[in-house]
Parts: sequence; C-alpha cells; structure tokens
Amino acid sequence: MPMKFAKWVAAACLCMPMMSHAVAVSDVAPDFTLKSVDGTNTRLKEFRGQVVLINFWASWCGPCRQEMPLLERIDERYKGAGFTVLGVNVEGKAGPAKEVASKAGVSFPVLVDEGQKVSELYDLESMPSSVVVDRDGVVRYVHKGYKPGDEAKYLEVVKKLIGK
Amino acid sequence: MQRIAFLFGALLLMSVAAFGDDAKDALADDNVAADAPVSADTASDAGVPESDAPAKADSASLGSQMEDIKHGLLDLKRDLAVLEEDLLYPASSQVAVFLSMDVGEFFALDSVTLKLNGKDVTHYLYTQKQADALFRGGVQRLFVGNVKQGQNQLTAFFTGRGPEGRDYKRATTVTFEKSFEPSYVELKISDSTAKYQPEFVATVSP
Repeated sequence: MPMKFAKWVAAACLCMPMMSHAVAVSDVAPDFTLKSVDGTNTRLKEFRGQVVLINFWASWCGPCRQEMPLLERIDERYKGAGFTVLGVNVEGKAGPAKEVASKAGVSFPVLVDEGQKVSELYDLESMPSSVVVDRDGVVRYVHKGYKPGDEAKYLEVVKKLIGK
Repeated sequence: MQRIAFLFGALLLMSVAAFGDDAKDALADDNVAADAPVSADTASDAGVPESDAPAKADSASLGSQMEDIKHGLLDLKRDLAVLEEDLLYPASSQVAVFLSMDVGEFFALDSVTLKLNGKDVTHYLYTQKQADALFRGGVQRLFVGNVKQGQNQLTAFFTGRGPEGRDYKRATTVTFEKSFEPSYVELKISDSTAKYQPEFVATVSP
C-alpha cells in the first residue's frame, strides 16, 4: 500500500509541470495573432521594442467597460513614447466588441479572441485582466480585476518600463 | 521530451562545470602571477603595470572560452531540435506542409486553414509583415504532424483579398500516399497573368 501511494505521488509530481499555469511576471509573454475589429491581423511579437498593455475584457463585464476610457487616456498619453494598449475581447465576436469599443471611444487595437485560444493561453482567472509586457516581450506586471484607482498602478508600471 | 530536457540540462551542467574548472585554473594562474615578485626594471621597461598584462591575457582567454561554449551550446540546441523532431514526428508518419507565395497584384493573403483527413489541424492568420516576408521569397513551415501510412487527403483553404479588393476564399485538395519516408507538401500561391487570378497549387514530394 505505501508503495502504491508513493507511485501515485510520484506520478502526480511528474504531471505537475504539464498542468497549465497563469502567465506570471518574468515569463515570456505567449505570442498570438488575432484579427482586430477593423479586419487587420495583429501579432503580439511585432510589438517588440514597445511596452504593451494587453487588456482582456468582455462586453458583459461592467468594470471592463469602466476601465476602457482610462486605458484610452493612458494610450494617448504614452503612445508616442513607445507604448501601446491591445484590447482582447474574449467573447470571440467582432460585432459586440466593435460596438462596445466604439461607445467607449477607444482608438487602440481591439482584437477578437475567436475560439478563446488566447484566453486559454494566458489562463485568465478574472475579468478584466491586464498584462504589461516590456520591450523584450517579458511579462512585468499582471493585474486582475479593476476598481477605480487601479489605473494609477498601470501608470506607475508603464512609466517605469518606458523609461528603461 | 522529458528525457531530452534532462539530457540537455545534464550536458549544460557539465559544460558549465568544465568552464568553471578552466576559470578556476586561470584565476589560480593569475594569483600565482600576482604573487610572484615583480622587478621594477621590467615594469618600467614595458611601460605597462605588471598586473594588467596577465589580466588582459586571461580575460581574452576567458572571452574565447565563453565563445566556444556558446557555439557548443548552439550546436547542441540544434542537435536536440533535430532529435526532438525525429522523436515526435518519426519519418514513417511525418508530414510537413510548407507555404510559399509568388503574388503581387491578384491576392493579399489573410489566413490559411488546413484540414488533414477531414480534421482541422491548423489555422494561421498572417499580418502584413508576414505576408510581405512570404512575397519576398520566404517559405513558411505551416504544419508538421503525423499521419497513418497509406492514402491521406490534405485540403488547404486560403482567405484573403482578391482582384479589385474583393473577399476571396479558395481551396485546394491533394491526396497523397504516405510511405516510410517523410512526406512534404508544398502549397504555392502564384499569379496567373493569363486568367488575371491567383492560382493555388499543392504538390507532394517524394
């Protein structure tokens, strides 16, 4: 019996690395290519050299819609300094995504995660979720959820990374 | 996969250990040289402080050793990649699909979907940069996988913008016989000036 239990523990330990884990700070941001709401294909790796804030959102998520205009302001303020925001709609439908983005008045690329493959890749645990990636493609900050005032933290991280 | 990772880790540790031993020897020699009595005349004749010359020689030697280790690691990485491919996709079942383009006016590629024996195996979106790279002669390895020996069917769906900017979707199907050797399928998109349309051709080798 102890041998059998030991074998199960060993098997579980071997399986642990194979289980997916949420993207963490210092991981290389998983690359993806998604279609934006205006029809162009956008690839994360092509933004190497820029600081990128990837914001995962859904149209049914209130805090997501609340956060969007603030992200637009950050994008407008720093895009000349090598920064961009990429919005990723996790529902996978371009129509509702375009409508919400248009109402929020965003100008940054809004991508549609058809099939939820990128959401699975990043193993999101909450909505909205924001991941800040540095110029070398490494994750430097992960923020789960949104409440008023959180944008101050985004600004702090983005300013620090742009300055490097 | 885990064995290969373990082997790579073991070889890396051995290389670092070997480098560490060499570095220790080099440092030990440096210490010996520093401890040796220095003649004032020699130092003044050389015009360079005695401690700098051996230090510079050692750093050059360390630099070249580092380069050698880096080259060794790159070679090892390449060999491991080849071994991994042989392990995951043995020749008897391997099929690889490559995409190339020779278009200008008639087709702007947006995406390619591959179906192998009726099952979706890949869906790839192309950015403008990637499409430009293909147009300039790049060849993309779109898919590599395993199939059973015998008759197999591959269908490729190309989506993009055709002549006059209209949405364009075309498919091409190829049936091939899988033998013991790896099978390579080339998908080529080219302009047909006779028809003023893009052409999508699939060829199999061997």
